[in-house]
Amino acid sequence: MKEIVIAFAGNPNVGKTALINAISGAKLKIGNWPGVTVEKREAEFEFEGRRFRLVDLPGIYSLTPYTIEERIAQEFLLEERPDVVVNVIDVTNIERNLYLTTQLAELEIPMVIALNMWDEFKSKGFHLDVEMLSQILQVPCVPTAAVRGKGIDRLLKEVIRAYENHILPAKMRFNRVIEEKIERLEEMLKEREIPYPLRWSAIKILEKDEFFLEKVKKFISGMEEEIERMRREIEDYFGEDIETVIAEQRYGYINGLVREVLKKPVERKIEITDLIDKVFLNRLLGMPIFFFLIYMMFKVTFDGSAPLIDWIDGFINGFVGKWLSIGLYGMGAPHWLVSLLIDGVLSGVGLVLSFVPLMFFLYLFMSILEESGYMARAAFLMDKIMHLVGLHGKSFIPMVIGFGCNVPAVLATRVLESEKDRRLTALLIPFMSCGARLPIYALFTGLFFKKHQAEIVFSLYFMGVVVSLIVGMILQKTVFKGESRPFIMELPPYRIPTVKMLWNSIWLRTRSFIKKAGTVIAVTMVILWFFMNIPYGSPPEKTVLGRVARTVSPVFYPLGFGKNWKAIAALIPGTVAKEIVVGALGQLYGLEEEVKTEKADTSFTQDLKQQVLNLKNALIKSLKGIFGGFKTGIFEVEEEKNSALARIKSEFTPLSAFSYMVFCLLWMPCAATLGAIYSEFGAGTLMLSILLTTTVPYSVSAVIYNLGKVMGF
Amino acid sequence: MKLSELAIGEKGRIVRIGNVGDLKRRLRELGITRGEVVEVEHVAPLGDPVEIIVKNCRLSLRKEEAEHIEVEKL
Repeated sequence: MKEIVIAFAGNPNVGKTALINAISGAKLKIGNWPGVTVEKREAEFEFEGRRFRLVDLPGIYSLTPYTIEERIAQEFLLEERPDVVVNVIDVTNIERNLYLTTQLAELEIPMVIALNMWDEFKSKGFHLDVEMLSQILQVPCVPTAAVRGKGIDRLLKEVIRAYENHILPAKMRFNRVIEEKIERLEEMLKEREIPYPLRWSAIKILEKDEFFLEKVKKFISGMEEEIERMRREIEDYFGEDIETVIAEQRYGYINGLVREVLKKPVERKIEITDLIDKVFLNRLLGMPIFFFLIYMMFKVTFDGSAPLIDWIDGFINGFVGKWLSIGLYGMGAPHWLVSLLIDGVLSGVGLVLSFVPLMFFLYLFMSILEESGYMARAAFLMDKIMHLVGLHGKSFIPMVIGFGCNVPAVLATRVLESEKDRRLTALLIPFMSCGARLPIYALFTGLFFKKHQAEIVFSLYFMGVVVSLIVGMILQKTVFKGESRPFIMELPPYRIPTVKMLWNSIWLRTRSFIKKAGTVIAVTMVILWFFMNIPYGSPPEKTVLGRVARTVSPVFYPLGFGKNWKAIAALIPGTVAKEIVVGALGQLYGLEEEVKTEKADTSFTQDLKQQVLNLKNALIKSLKGIFGGFKTGIFEVEEEKNSALARIKSEFTPLSAFSYMVFCLLWMPCAATLGAIYSEFGAGTLMLSILLTTTVPYSVSAVIYNLGKVMGF
Repeated sequence: MKLSELAIGEKGRIVRIGNVGDLKRRLRELGITRGEVVEVEHVAPLGDPVEIIVKNCRLSLRKEEAEHIEVEKL
């Protein structure tokens, strides 16, 4: 059975994804386009005995590959030649949307137009002659309201009809002067057997579409002069550059078309969006409202998920771990194997799962912000600040989330449109001091800076921000040089997101995280287990970890804590999760590790009941966290044995302790963050991130320590 | 005058778009072409960027970009 491939093309924010969802019944799969981190959404389904594959092309304004999204779209349409193109149009904005339509029509692929947002369009008092529009464009046009599932059946029927009868859209005619050239070029291209639609190719070549010119280089060799002469003739005639001429011709055609089919209401009604923006973008209120929303998002995400994360942790490590080890010992498994499975593999799985509640809340918020249209406003408000580092206004949100946890922050970079912004932001996020780093600060400030705890902690947070700004500027001038693009962005009208849309986006993204990042995290945990436990049963300094730490410690002399190999050793388990550094320090500085032997003092069913009860309590706590006051349990330090604290105190000076905290702040993020970077951006960006988070902390700590020494601290 | 010089609520007709390379293409795709009427709707609290309405559509652009667009005030 032949699969019918349908590509959905249209401007950003026209509801393509919602339409695909409505058609396929939410069978959307999410992935990336090959080689880039642009989200690719696909769905497969069967209908009336045929198999369909729906491909959601990235939102684009034209087919000239200016951004990576447009390149993907052009490449897909030209090389994969889908069977039908569904051009999704936001009918409330038809003029601008038709600009892309005129280009799609030239591809010679059967096409159907979905006039989406039809309800909204009607309620605004517009009238459109659909019949006439279909006739002029030679494309079946179907009014739809994707979110409400309206017009879906008809759209699908028209798609099948267009496919079966191979209905090709009409192509617009340009001015005679241009037409002549197009025709001549078409003939020349025909002779050379160019494998793309002739008229499309001729126009693209005339327009100097660099991406396409590169593609057809060998077909047009020797024709360059002739082509350049044609361009010059057109430019001389119109007194404008060729690209502008062609674009103005397209808009001219659209103007005429729209005048025939569209009746606008006599008066432009004041829209709800205008009223909301009067408040949200207000010069005085705009910023406070923005910060309040961010604060709420932060609070709900972290307070809401904390009890659930604790529960998952307890369930996996306490309940599953306990009974699994009892079972394993019962089968006569050796001690080391049980430790590997429980402390390595199982705790890795537990770590991945413990991110699920966090992910859920974060994606819920991100989706609400995105789908409602507020995200674009946030970018509008924050752009001035972010622009200083060469970033887009939207980067602000992922960076702020980084203060809570770096993992969701990396995933939140998806809100950014350009791949460059996404990668750059993700590389800077690890310098945002996440919640897990606080216990480290609490321990050391408690020991060395009792009187100025808050100020020191604040200075660390601040330093993280400053470092990220500086690194951002450097990257901007080196690695990401010349990849900048203007800020111009659409501010879509506010819309109420539907539960279905939110759920889809939460579920799809969470699943993709568990699958991809999960593997990296679990593998890292197993590797770390080997590091810390081989040879099995030996004291810390004899393990691989201890030996490595002692060997490399001289490297850290310039940072002030090179003589304490234990402090360095603690950094490595810190890769699992930063707060582990504290526990590891406690262990290494002379806490006797109690030998864990799980005894079945309670029965399995008793334990299970307890877990269910715990889950109930966790859910209640989570709700309280969301709606209750803001509690900060972040300054609590677990009570360590005094002897260990005293030893730590004797091995550090206040200056080297500060240097160590700075190092912990900037040093490699946890395995989960690395996993997230890998799953979003691949190995190259991961390597770059590791490089940055090793060299930067080293240099900064060295500078601080030596400056401090000179200044007499 | 330049688009960046229009105050909130003022309208202008686009006369010319300077030679700004790739930016010009993007402007065109978004409907910012010669003869089109633009209205300044908001200015961000920090003074940049600005929100304009073109072809019944809200767009946000930075002042440094708006500087390249010449308008006649209506």
